[in-house]
Amino acid sequence: MSKVVKAKYTAEAVAGFTHRTAMEEAARCLLCHDAPCSQGCPAGTDPAKFIRSIRFRNVKGAAETIRENNILGGSCARVCPYDRLCEEACSRCGIDKPIQIGKLQRYAIEQEKVFKMKILKAPAKKKAAKVACVGAGPASLAAAAELAKAGYRVTIFEREEKAGGVLTYGIVPSRLPQAVVDHDIAQVKGLGVKFEFGKEVKAADLEEYDAVFVGTGLWGANLPKIEGIELAGVYSAVDFLKAARTQKNAFDPGKKVLVVGGGDVAVDCAVTAKLLGAEDVKIVYRRTLEEAPGNMTEFQYALTLGIGITTGMAPAAIKGADKVEAVEFKGFRDEAAQLVLSADTIVFATGQTAEDQTAVAPVKVADKGLIKAPKGKAGGKFFAAGDIVNGGKTVVEAVAAGKEAADAMIAYLEKKGVK
Amino acid sequence: MAIKKDLSVNYLGVKCQNPFFLSSSPVGGNYDMVRKCYETGWAGCFFKTVGIFVADECSPRFDQTNKEGLPWLGFKNMEQISDKPTEQNFEYIYRLVRDYPEHVTVATIMGSSEEEWKQLAKMCDEAGVPLIEGNFSCPQMTSHDMGSDVGTNNELVEKYARAVTSVTDIPFIAKMTPNCKNMEEHARAAIKGGAAAVSAINTIKSITNLDFENMTAMPVVNGKSSISGYSGAAVKPIALRFCTQVQQDEEIHKLVKEKGFDFGYGHEMSGIGGIETWRDAAEFLAVGCRTVQVTTAIMQYGYRIVEDMISGLSHFMDERGFDNLDQFIGCALPNIIPAEELNRDFRLLPKFDDKKCVGCGRCYVSCYDAAHQAIDWNEKKRRPELNDNCVGCHLCLNVCPVQGCITPGEIQWKEGREPVDVKFKKEYI
Ligand SMILES: Cc1cc2nc3c(=O)[nH]c(=O)nc-3n(C[C@H](O)[C@H](O)[C@H](O)COP(=O)(O)OP(=O)(O)OC[C@H]3O[C@@H](n4cnc5c(N)ncnc54)[C@H](O)[C@@H]3O)c2cc1C
Ligand SMILES: Cc1cc2nc3c(=O)[nH]c(=O)nc-3n(C[C@H](O)[C@H](O)[C@H](O)COP(=O)(O)O)c2cc1C
Ligand code: SF4
Ligand code: SF4
Ligand code: SF4
Repeated sequence: MSKVVKAKYTAEAVAGFTHRTAMEEAARCLLCHDAPCSQGCPAGTDPAKFIRSIRFRNVKGAAETIRENNILGGSCARVCPYDRLCEEACSRCGIDKPIQIGKLQRYAIEQEKVFKMKILKAPAKKKAAKVACVGAGPASLAAAAELAKAGYRVTIFEREEKAGGVLTYGIVPSRLPQAVVDHDIAQVKGLGVKFEFGKEVKAADLEEYDAVFVGTGLWGANLPKIEGIELAGVYSAVDFLKAARTQKNAFDPGKKVLVVGGGDVAVDCAVTAKLLGAEDVKIVYRRTLEEAPGNMTEFQYALTLGIGITTGMAPAAIKGADKVEAVEFKGFRDEAAQLVLSADTIVFATGQTAEDQTAVAPVKVADKGLIKAPKGKAGGKFFAAGDIVNGGKTVVEAVAAGKEAADAMIAYLEKKGVK
Repeated sequence: MAIKKDLSVNYLGVKCQNPFFLSSSPVGGNYDMVRKCYETGWAGCFFKTVGIFVADECSPRFDQTNKEGLPWLGFKNMEQISDKPTEQNFEYIYRLVRDYPEHVTVATIMGSSEEEWKQLAKMCDEAGVPLIEGNFSCPQMTSHDMGSDVGTNNELVEKYARAVTSVTDIPFIAKMTPNCKNMEEHARAAIKGGAAAVSAINTIKSITNLDFENMTAMPVVNGKSSISGYSGAAVKPIALRFCTQVQQDEEIHKLVKEKGFDFGYGHEMSGIGGIETWRDAAEFLAVGCRTVQVTTAIMQYGYRIVEDMISGLSHFMDERGFDNLDQFIGCALPNIIPAEELNRDFRLLPKFDDKKCVGCGRCYVSCYDAAHQAIDWNEKKRRPELNDNCVGCHLCLNVCPVQGCITPGEIQWKEGREPVDVKFKKEYI
């Protein structure tokens, strides 16, 4: 039998660079002219510049570049799908393998903390305009930071008790420790942005604000209408992950856990269940692994934890008296296929949907309840970006879109003449 | 079967199994160490310098330089000569000579007066060593009567060489310091005084790094530090230069002959400085050294590095069809000529392999910022395009990170110059 990794729920899975190993990796960088990696970052984090700073022993300068361009630089360093972004663009791929850009970014941001740097500053003299941001996820945090840097007074309203959105209530801490998220958010607070927690925003709350940003994300469950879906032990991915992140080791995921889905969220749910003590965890995906949207290295990590992956099967019915006892699957394409698995818990990681946004703000909604907001503009004083606009992409894209929307808000406020 | 080649050399009349020696330093400081190094394959050892003066060392005493995460580019030490009693050192040397007759145990000595040099030479004689080396070159002695201060004073070098050779017939090697303007004149002085040959280089006076915690140099000894000797890979270019200049000095070869120390090879240099691999060693042999000596690489990696030196040099000889090292030693000397004698009639233009190119743009940046703006950057294709400004300096070739991507291409004759057959390097790795 091969060796199975035993890990703690809150312990980070991948070790970072030390000063020496960071230098070794930075030495591999070709220090490209007009670097493709920098072009590959949606949020403009400018990896070529911060890697060059590391190489020339200016790690504080590296931290500055990251923080100035990407307010969530620490979190992005952990969770960005770099293999599809900066690292895919890296020139070094033509020689052997890309520079580990994410890991270097993590190293530089760790140094920001070691040196107790305070990189971002908001002007002391504030503008008169008042700005509200709804939701404290990546999109809002990025927009708020840009606005605060430009001298606006910003308040973020968040219905949960902590900021971070999916960073705090979704992604597993073994990939993204809470301390990293908190350190990123501390930079936003350091700019004077106010946070109001436990506040579910309704359209009426927003009247006194000169401009409003909506970054509410996708928090509606997407459960199939199958027999037994109302039973105890059935979760949507976001509810399951949120329960785990808030209750930590006190959360009992059940002994036998099934996770339905083929994306990174499914892997996060399975890993969470396993790290919190589930004995048998299986991911069941209806298509093939080849078609799965999840990152292969994440599937591999799940395998090393002893999590099983079954493909080609879709859930058909959930059986149980008043809680989940077994799940029946049918072949998705293979009509002959049948599968029944005992289970205490079944988690549906089959995508999130939008909640009713018209209750939050007078915005236009399109298909699937998403907000229509080209270049961040949702009409009048309303702006929106992130998952609630793009239908669910990545943290770095939410940051990029949040920055873009902030620019549009500044232009709007300046045009309106609000000082 | 591992390759076997005859790597033996005659060095000052002494038969050596191969040209690889430990240089005088802590790597050869007692009986057991030297025994182990012989068993690993080293032909001989220049034993840690023995004096009447016994060193009282500071702590710590080492530092190293690094670049881009690569450690030990260079190494700084603040050590002096042996810190063991003189008699004990000679006892080790005596036993090594007795127990390892196939290996070459050389005593390296340093006195602070004519008397001391004579006294040490007599002790060498009694120990029965085949060769004696005189250390005229340690740059961090605590007295001006010893070390590199002596080595740059022709009168003292000659006087002390004479002192040694007046009491023993064992061939005497003067170890030279690179902390000089011109090594040849000091080498001549040594040979005039009776030395059979010189070895070089000892360490270069240096400050490797500053420590901002204590605002002094490295290493920090109770908040202070000193200028002291630099060695290792970083000094190899300087060592090769000195060895080449000494071996190209006709006067030195003549003096050796006059003094009766010509064993058929002219002046017999022993090359030292930054040798880590068979290739480094072969470079010293190519400029006319008959043996080579190593310290820093052993401090970093241990005696075992000699295994790849022996095997690597054997493969090289095999590849080039050399049966023995005498066919190779000194081969490069005629081709290292004064700058004014180089052919300056042509430009060797670089050639770019678009398929190998990874589009990093480093050639473009360097050519623009530091050469002749001869590369246009094709932004769309991310490829360099050579224009008419190229002077053939090959800066681009040196910065390109991809092996075999930029290579020498077309030869362009300067106006009015006579084309001739041009030899140039084709393989860059
Ligand atoms: C489990 C999981 C794993 C993921 N893994 C990755 C990954 O590894 N890498 C990656 O790049 N992306 C990943 N993503 C996607 C990424 O997290 C999102 O694209 C990103 O968080 C979107 O940011 P956002 O600000 O638009 O929304 P969110 O992060 O969803 O934040 C929205 C916030 O608004 C709050 N809110 C909503 N409505 C209201 C209201 N009416 N009043 C007050 N507050 C409200 C919510 O509570 C929440 O805090 C993952 C997503 C999930 C679900
Ligand atoms: C720690 C240390 C101690 C040394 N001690 C001596 C010595 O006692 N006598 C001597 O002639 N050279 C001494 N050297 C100089 C070396 O023998 C050698 O000439 C020099 O280091 C260059 O060779 P390398 O680059 O292979 O180390 C010492 C060098 C080092 C690093
Ligand atoms: S593309 Fe790759 S090699 Fe080039 S600068 Fe960026 S990280 Fe370095
Ligand atoms: S050889 Fe020199 S001048 Fe010519 S392209 Fe290269 S760097 Fe530029
Ligand atoms: S340095 Fe080499 S790899 Fe880089 S662009 Fe120039 S030719 Fe291409």
